[in-house]
Amino acid sequence: MDLPAIPLLSMLKERMSWLNQRQNVLSENVANIDTPGYTARDLKPVDFEKALKAATSGAFNNAMAVTNPRHIALSQHAAGAFDDENTPDIESNPSGNSVSLEQEMIKVADTQAQFQAATNLYAKAIDMMKTAIGKTGM
Amino acid sequence: MDFSTSMTVAASGMRAQSDRMKIIAENIANANSTSATATGEPYRRQIATVKSEFDRELNATVVQSGKAVDDMSDFRLQYDPGNPAADKQGYVKMPNVNSLVEIMDMREAQRSYEADLTVMDASKSMLARTVDLLKK
Repeated sequence: MDLPAIPLLSMLKERMSWLNQRQNVLSENVANIDTPGYTARDLKPVDFEKALKAATSGAFNNAMAVTNPRHIALSQHAAGAFDDENTPDIESNPSGNSVSLEQEMIKVADTQAQFQAATNLYAKAIDMMKTAIGKTGM
Repeated sequence: MDFSTSMTVAASGMRAQSDRMKIIAENIANANSTSATATGEPYRRQIATVKSEFDRELNATVVQSGKAVDDMSDFRLQYDPGNPAADKQGYVKMPNVNSLVEIMDMREAQRSYEADLTVMDASKSMLARTVDLLKK
């Protein structure tokens, strides 16, 4: 049994890679805060229903089966696996830059908190598994 | 894909802002640099430019400081007949640097730099969280 095959852990992994990619997009926005003509971007929110269906039906494991150690598993989530979109802020300065610093700071803090929640849940899930196999995790 | 991408992007923003600060410092330092002769021109204000560029290796849009461009606005004229750089009417051409504008630019650069720093801090703590999973 490998850990990513457990639905809870694979969902958390998915969540963490989504947050990771969002952090990359937000850092691009903040770095380009003075670039003329730059439009702020953000990741599209993941459709909960679709994600749940995929996780519970085992569609996450739709990669080719590895039956031999010399098989190379397909990476399911390459860089930029999630879609992003332009999210121009209402305010835009005369140079055509539409990044709102305050908005970006809120998003960065939000992403950070969500990531923290995901890692804590991951640790808890591992702890529960350790309890189940008879070792106290602490 | 990992957190080093977002940190590298934030670092590129910080580098661009510090390049901008360098140009602002040059402008303020040269606010009174006149020409030595009456026919010459005094220091001309420089404008820092930034441009975004797609980094293929990083798969992300980083920011780069572009070439500084000249500010083509008129020079200030100051009445100072004793100055060797004065023209026939006794006026000396002073650089077209407005210290108020420079200070506002400096504040903006400082604020953008701080924002990049915040993003870097956030990425770093997220990375530390992930590494902490190993301790469990």
